[in-house]
Amino acid sequence: MRIGDFRSSYAHDEALLVTPVQRAWMLAFVLALAAFPWVGGTYLTYLACLTGIHVIAAMGLNLVTGYAGQISLGHAAFMGVGCYTAAWLANHGVPFFIALPLAGTMSALAGLVVGIPSLRIKGLYLAVATLAAQFILSFVFREWEPVTGGVRGVNIEAAQLFGLSLGSDRAMYYVVVVTAGLMLLAARNLFRTRVGRAFIAIRDKDISAEVLGIDLFRTKLLAFALGSFYAGVAGALMGYFFRVITPEHFSLGLSIFYLAAIIVGGMGTLLGTILGAAFMALVPEVLRGAVSLLSGVAPNAMALLSPVREIVFGALIVGFLIFEPHGLIEIWRRVRRFFHLWPFKT
Amino acid sequence: MTTRRHALKASAALASLSALGMPLRALAQGNELVVGAAPPITGVFAFAGVGLNAGVGDYCEWRNETQGGVAGRRLRYISEDSAYKMDQAMAVFKKLMAAHKPPVFYGDSTAWAKAAAVEVSKLGSTMTAAPSYASELADPKKVPYYFMAGPTYAAMVQMLLTYINSQGKGGKKPTVALVYSDTEFGRDPIAAAKESAQKLGLEVVQEIVTKPGSADVSAEVARLRRARPDYVIFHGYVLAPIPEFMRQLREAGLTNTRFMGTIWSMDKASADAMGPVADGWMGVMPYRYAHDTEGAPMMKAMNDFARKRRPEMPYTSTFYTHGWLVGMTFAEIMERCLKANKPLTGDNMKAALESLTNWDTGGITGHAVDYRGHQIAAGRIYRYDLGKKLYEPASDWIKTV
Repeated sequence: MRIGDFRSSYAHDEALLVTPVQRAWMLAFVLALAAFPWVGGTYLTYLACLTGIHVIAAMGLNLVTGYAGQISLGHAAFMGVGCYTAAWLANHGVPFFIALPLAGTMSALAGLVVGIPSLRIKGLYLAVATLAAQFILSFVFREWEPVTGGVRGVNIEAAQLFGLSLGSDRAMYYVVVVTAGLMLLAARNLFRTRVGRAFIAIRDKDISAEVLGIDLFRTKLLAFALGSFYAGVAGALMGYFFRVITPEHFSLGLSIFYLAAIIVGGMGTLLGTILGAAFMALVPEVLRGAVSLLSGVAPNAMALLSPVREIVFGALIVGFLIFEPHGLIEIWRRVRRFFHLWPFKT
Repeated sequence: MTTRRHALKASAALASLSALGMPLRALAQGNELVVGAAPPITGVFAFAGVGLNAGVGDYCEWRNETQGGVAGRRLRYISEDSAYKMDQAMAVFKKLMAAHKPPVFYGDSTAWAKAAAVEVSKLGSTMTAAPSYASELADPKKVPYYFMAGPTYAAMVQMLLTYINSQGKGGKKPTVALVYSDTEFGRDPIAAAKESAQKLGLEVVQEIVTKPGSADVSAEVARLRRARPDYVIFHGYVLAPIPEFMRQLREAGLTNTRFMGTIWSMDKASADAMGPVADGWMGVMPYRYAHDTEGAPMMKAMNDFARKRRPEMPYTSTFYTHGWLVGMTFAEIMERCLKANKPLTGDNMKAALESLTNWDTGGITGHAVDYRGHQIAAGRIYRYDLGKKLYEPASDWIKTV
């Protein structure tokens, strides 16, 4: 049983991983991540890449909505801005490692503009304003043919890093994992700074935050810009991953997908974001696998059970919201608490 | 004691059978030809996906039953639902490729076909098809390992225009309006359609873009009413808003205007769902309808098998026919490779596909098929008969270049 943390220096107090056990688990996790594509095979590597991209994008939405309390229904559109920027840059010979941050920056600029109404409105009104941004940007993706390829979309050259092609899933896996790791680390540290704490203060009570000296306008815009930066990077990675992008990728449905991911995972937590994104990306795959197994037993099971799969997925989300409104993170915390206090009852 | 001895004997026999059976099964699987698929059984395209999935799968079964598979190797159809989402279709593709390495794969959409083309070119071991007739996919140079079991959308509209052109009376050419959805699917043939119309001397009097499935079309109907076209071609829809357009235009007095659609709005179920306005509804279809089996032995065989295998299916849809024809094409190109002792590589299968220049589909298509352009550039205009609740031919089979 763990009985407490003894922090004897400022360095120790600032450390992200406090105990040797935490450091050992993290090391094991990093090693497992590194080895994963070599043991997991193409299919699981593909899913891991997709999940990693979803984690980055959901992290961006969690910054805006979960931490800063500004609801956004235009997150997929910001991903689209990043994706098309990366595609345009890549097809003009700009190297991947420059195109990726530039894609994020372009999305951040779009986020700044979309975030302007957040000073005057909030809640459902802000949701509608961001929804308008989603539709406007979707229109731009469809109509600005020289850049976006119109409804037919655009092909993206395989990413290259120092002469090495990143065209395979395995190579992209490492790019996605490293990028996700760096961005999660940045987000983790953000909430130990004045800016990050200002986000939380605004979420909890914006009037009180203003009284405390927080510049609401600047901070809200910064939240939108940062969240959109994450979305832009995720969008760029998605483009490099699929190598073909059409406007249909960045629909309102995708924005809702990320909103569901952060709610299911747990708003305002980093680990919750990871759990939520993984849940939304992987549970449909698990359910499809189950249907596939049953198809071997009964003829026509695929056609009969596939619609049931959608219902089960929806019911799982609703079930989580009813039985664990704090999200998957709360289940994780309970499990951890159980082991910390074992053999005593929590 | 006797019981125990019997039990022991039975166990030994079972163990021997399992030991024998496992390698036999492994051998059988090794000798099988896997047909992989990611059909859209759920999602917005499910109305067609169920039939597409059944069509490809049933053809594989029928082929095994009647001909013992392909070149002595049984076909094994493995499919998983894509939900009409590109990322999920790609996941199924990767999963099945990793587990079974199918030489042929049937996807779910244009988006999948484009995304998979990158991967398939890299692999060089798979021939693909999908229920997409996007014009850019019928390109043996850019998308070498993809074929479509039908004409491109551009070719379909060209056939409609050819028919319209033939309907001019007294030297007067009919006028045309184009109504399409604001999607990749909807916009696909429009530039080619306008070009074809210009070449044929047909005037496009109105061009209307709508949201797919939009409900309120009164403003668009007003524009069409003013233009008074002889023919309205709808593309990029399955059903809505076509019936609403037709109803409002009929009520507005455009009784002589003919309404036409392309393949996805031409199944019997769509026409039945339109109700009374469907009387006279026309469109292009690259295959025969299920009731039209005269001189078409494969249509008859397909219907018989569908009835036997799926008694719950009310009729054989055009989606099922499409799936069946895709299965036939897969089997034919694999057979040509195997009979020529060529391994099933992408290049060999592409060459086999392109060698199908006069291929008899047993009457599923009107003409012998020419796959050199990786499409079947032929079809026929059909008209829906509300009384019979059937599509009847309105033209002979039309080929496009």
